Amino acid sequence: MARGVHLTDHRNKGWFIVTRNGQLVHATGLSRTYTVGRREIPALRGVDFSINRGEFVVLLGPSGAGKTTTLNLVGGLDRPTGGSLSVAGEVVADGSVHAKESRLNALRREHLGFVFAEFHLLPTLSALENVQVPLIWADESGRDRAEALLCRVGLGHRLTHRPDELSGGEMQRVALARALINQPALLLADEPTANLDTNTRDEIFGLLRELSDEGLAILFATHDHELAERGDTVLRLSDGVIVHD
Amino acid sequence: MNWTAIALKNILRRPIRSILTVAGVGVAIAMLFNLLEFQRGYEKGLRSELSDLGAHIMIVPRGCPYEAATIVLHGGKWPRYMDEEWYQIVRGTEGIEASTAIIMDAIIRDGGRENLIYMGIDENYPSLRQSWRYASGDWFSGTQAAILGSSVARSMGVTAGGSITIEEKGRIPATEVTVAGVLERTNSQDDGLVFLPQHTMQQIFGLQGKLVMILVKLADVTQTEQVTAALRSASAEADAGMNIFPLSELLGTLTSLLSSTRVFVLAIVAVAFIIGGVGVLTTILMAVYERTREIGMMKAMGAAKSDIFRLIWLETLFTTIGGGVAGILLALLSGRGVVALLKTILPHTPADFALGMSGSTLAICMGVSVVLGVVAGTWPAWRAASISPITAIRGGSS
Repeated sequence: MARGVHLTDHRNKGWFIVTRNGQLVHATGLSRTYTVGRREIPALRGVDFSINRGEFVVLLGPSGAGKTTTLNLVGGLDRPTGGSLSVAGEVVADGSVHAKESRLNALRREHLGFVFAEFHLLPTLSALENVQVPLIWADESGRDRAEALLCRVGLGHRLTHRPDELSGGEMQRVALARALINQPALLLADEPTANLDTNTRDEIFGLLRELSDEGLAILFATHDHELAERGDTVLRLSDGVIVHD
Repeated sequence: MNWTAIALKNILRRPIRSILTVAGVGVAIAMLFNLLEFQRGYEKGLRSELSDLGAHIMIVPRGCPYEAATIVLHGGKWPRYMDEEWYQIVRGTEGIEASTAIIMDAIIRDGGRENLIYMGIDENYPSLRQSWRYASGDWFSGTQAAILGSSVARSMGVTAGGSITIEEKGRIPATEVTVAGVLERTNSQDDGLVFLPQHTMQQIFGLQGKLVMILVKLADVTQTEQVTAALRSASAEADAGMNIFPLSELLGTLTSLLSSTRVFVLAIVAVAFIIGGVGVLTTILMAVYERTREIGMMKAMGAAKSDIFRLIWLETLFTTIGGGVAGILLALLSGRGVVALLKTILPHTPADFALGMSGSTLAICMGVSVVLGVVAGTWPAWRAASISPITAIRGGSS
């Protein structure tokens, strides 16, 4: 075993995530440049960061700073054009070498959860069924777990309600429960409170804070300075680079 | 939750659109079902009708033998006759167990609305008609007698012992005959016929010495070819000009004629399937575009390309299988109407012709529904599987 590589018992399932130096995410010189016609637009320019288990990391920056790009790269939804990135023991990219799509699917399915500003719930399914959707391709049933998660996010009384019968805050709670159904090690949250009122925003953030305290690592993108101060670590992004105070 | 439940819920998301798509497939499947059952039912009915004739070889006057056979099977008027003496040539041929000579004519009334068919038969006819049973009465009691088919007797309100009058203005003077017997229902053309002693009919209709058909029953069916050849040779020698053909050959020819028309109908069914298939493809593709964000989100949650492909394919399959079931139900419900329509269009339909429901037709229709789903669903499923999660979540369409 390489020096500095740790084995982490995950989800009490008897298998382990291999992390470098105990870190869930490790990025070095991470870059992403988009090509539009003949123009090259750098969205992320060689950022270094790491996320530990249970750490609440806030990506703070204005629109266009590179927050969503960072989340997409960590989530394996996009491929970096430079640098190296490992997530939950999986080498997502190392220079020009990238993980295969099937590995990235497995990474997202087994270790990552996503919440976005928009909820992306399936309109024909109930809250409970929406939470169970990721279990379909994991070949699990998990109804009890889905119910428990909805109770945990305060929707135990709304199990059979469809999205059009829920408020914005409730829909985001369903989306959060759905992101947690596979018991991820890392939650990627892209401005999940952007479309919510202040009270609901605080409730959702408080919930995330609790989950982080229980061991869930969170990478939370926001442009809200007030929220950023409540994270464990703040990465300030500006024009694709991390700005240190 | 499982793939089936999520696929069904997605189909029901736009119920009217889904119903219309299913209906498109259903119409095509109903057409295919009816076509296959028509072919099967027609062949079965024709086979049974020919078997009911109790003969192996049919002899008719010169002319189109299939037209003659059709008229003979259906009953009707055919202005071609052969000389009665030729019956002796037939009877003298070796290998024949029984034979009967028939004369046939029709009286048309009310400008064609009423068509009563008369058949002149001899004493050999019942030996070929094993299905004959008398509801009342018996064989001809004298020369001025008649035996009525069950439908004719019912429509005339006559039973054995009663009488009927045969008359056609300007051709046949009124002649009263006694009803010697009424047949039980045979479910064949006999139900609609009036049988007269052969010579009586020839006199009444002015067809003395003429015949329309001779039916021949063989002692050994394996000798059909040899007996046919002997009859043809005897006919040629006597310059009798008879058309002699085995009924098995007639069945083959009539069914092959039917098969050739089936090609045209199949072409129409194929067009219906193309229209139905394009409808399914369009509907599913539209659904994929509408659900781009959802699909992107599923991929973000770890769904593989194959998972998305499977979901969309399942939705397409459920749509076409639904169309298959609807089509079969439609075909079963419309079966009687289709048969009634075919009977008015086709020159000859067997008396007990009906559209049934065979296992093979069901299997073919459901198989075609599945294949249609597989074919129509491939492209939309591939499109959905290729959706980029980032673009989709941002709200793009690719």
